[in-house]
Amino acid sequence: MSLSVARPLVSVYSEKSEVVAGAALPLPFVFKAPIRPDLVNDVHVSMSKNARQPYCVSKEAGHQTSAESWGTGRAVARIPRVRGGGTHRSGQGAFGNMCRGGRMFAPTKPWRRWHRRVNLRQRRAAAAAAVAAAGVPALVQARGHIIEKVPEFPLVVADKVQEINKTKQAVIFLRRIKAWSDVLKVYKSQRLRAGKGKMRNRRRVQRRGPLIIYHKDQGLTRAFRNIPGVETLNVDKLNLLKLAPGGHVGRFIIWTQSAFERLDALFGSWKTPSKEKKNFNLPQPKMANTDLTKLLKSEEIRKVLRAPNKRVVRATRKLNPLTNSRAMLRLNPYAAVLKREAVLGQRRTRNARALALAEKRGIKLPEDDTAVKAEKLREKRTKAIKVAASKKPKKPVAKKTAPPPPKKKASKEKKPAAKK
Amino acid sequence: MQHDDVVWAIINKTHCSHKVSTKTQQFCRNEYNLTGLCSRASCPLANSKYATIREENGIIYLYMRTAERIMFPNKQWEKVKLSRNFEKAIHQINENLLYWPAFIKAKCKQRFVKITQYLIRMRKLKLRRVKELVPIQRKIERRERRREEKALVAARIDNAIEKQLLDRLKKGTYNDIYNFPQMAFDAALKAEEISDESESEKSDEEEKEMELEPELEKELQRNVEEVDEFVEADSDMESDADSESGHKEGVDVGSDFESETSDIEDISVKAPSKKKARVEIEYETEPVASISRKKIKN
Repeated sequence: MSLSVARPLVSVYSEKSEVVAGAALPLPFVFKAPIRPDLVNDVHVSMSKNARQPYCVSKEAGHQTSAESWGTGRAVARIPRVRGGGTHRSGQGAFGNMCRGGRMFAPTKPWRRWHRRVNLRQRRAAAAAAVAAAGVPALVQARGHIIEKVPEFPLVVADKVQEINKTKQAVIFLRRIKAWSDVLKVYKSQRLRAGKGKMRNRRRVQRRGPLIIYHKDQGLTRAFRNIPGVETLNVDKLNLLKLAPGGHVGRFIIWTQSAFERLDALFGSWKTPSKEKKNFNLPQPKMANTDLTKLLKSEEIRKVLRAPNKRVVRATRKLNPLTNSRAMLRLNPYAAVLKREAVLGQRRTRNARALALAEKRGIKLPEDDTAVKAEKLREKRTKAIKVAASKKPKKPVAKKTAPPPPKKKASKEKKPAAKK
Repeated sequence: MQHDDVVWAIINKTHCSHKVSTKTQQFCRNEYNLTGLCSRASCPLANSKYATIREENGIIYLYMRTAERIMFPNKQWEKVKLSRNFEKAIHQINENLLYWPAFIKAKCKQRFVKITQYLIRMRKLKLRRVKELVPIQRKIERRERRREEKALVAARIDNAIEKQLLDRLKKGTYNDIYNFPQMAFDAALKAEEISDESESEKSDEEEKEMELEPELEKELQRNVEEVDEFVEADSDMESDADSESGHKEGVDVGSDFESETSDIEDISVKAPSKKKARVEIEYETEPVASISRKKIKN
């Protein structure tokens, strides 16, 4: 799809489906045209309206009565009713779309706008897109054609095919080229139409088979005429309704060599305008390089992007600090101290109370009672502290002398020292 | 490669003939699809570099395709036969898909495992000879049942049976031993009358009307003859009975003794056997034992 494409060589196959050596054609530029399924669909919808025949109801249908409303006061609805008497019809409602035998709502008129005109540029662009899509085997398969065993894509056949004039030979040719399985699929799909079309001369339906595009008809059309599903088309008169049946791109196309060579002249390239179509150049693609995945991984783009943020933020559970002590500690480390103090204070008061109570009541507490133990421990500790304090060598007290001449640095050092 | 993204954009948005869409998922019916689902990474049409595992007749192959061969549908798939040994096959897969994207490698191995598992199961089932379940097709069953009923009615089996039995009777396969229900007997007699009348009508047409009377006479004569026979038989019986009345012994019983018949039955047997039987007057008498046995003998 880029403007500077490498043009691969497409080999030509003889009608016996052997490669004709030396005859390899470069791929015409049409096959690199942008594939626009939306455009093709729109143009197809409009174009298929052009073969319609008008239909309408009769002009006087429902009005061929002289009916008059009875007005009010007669205990009947005010719809116009048929005059006269002596028949079932008299007194029946007429003229309304709700009445039996009345005219329909909005009777269809023959001057409805049946046909649509499509802009020339759009038509040409759609044709180019359809031809381009027919060169992509994936799209042809997606449309439903069986091309598993076809030797090459796009399929180009020698000009001898244009001279086939017997259907038997045509069938043999299709078999050799491995396009016959597509025709078999057509056979299997032949069925009766659902609905009233059966009685309106549209009884049978079948799917589409391969399309053969030729340059000069020397019996080709007549040979392939009777094979169900197979259609033929002249290169100079490419029909979108045949290139993209149903508005879906990707019909299986078999080209003859001269037809294939003609495509370059018909559609031209981006640099050279078309020779046959006046003022026509292949439509410009929106993206020159359509390989999005490759683009996104390319160096030029990666260089400009910032580094990826691989940090994964996972949702954490919020723990209530009032109930969860760890959460509390995370927020306020001093809380541990407070708590501890509270616990210890509580214990002290409890023990003191127990001792006081025992003394007051004159009960001797047992030795292993917690209050007694705690008291003993306390006494032991205070003693030990005193002993340790007395044993420690006393530091000589620093005499306060006159401070040295103040230097800025020295003063700074002294100040924190003094503070200590 | 250049086309892959374009192809996927088109296939996904518009029409793909292999796509099957259900309420919750999209499936891909393309036979080369690796996972069976319709998605960007597993669409064989939208990835020019693709690999699958498929099995044919119990042999598992690895199929590979690269972007260079896309334009030659004939030659695009490279087929590698995988070893029968599971581990070796996994090694083969690893080897062949060495620098391939991890998704394809992983899915190929998964698919390979699944396929080997179901092949093993198939082999086990074949050995066990499970009964094949055939679904009942309601429409066909209903149709056939109705047709059977109609055929039954159309065959008129009762008539055929009746005819067969009568034929056999006429032939004599029952050896004059048969209990007839009254109704059937009357019906048969009437049938005989009608057939005889029709025959006589035919004969009347052939002959002249004048000969009606002699026919009637003939009938009467026949009746008389039969009566005479009857009388004669009686007289014979009487003489025999007289001769033997004194003796209480010596009742010779014939071979037909066990099948007990009465006078009525004997007469009845004779009546239909005579094809030109006219109207006969039947006298039902209580069977006298000695007389009946004598009759049997005769």
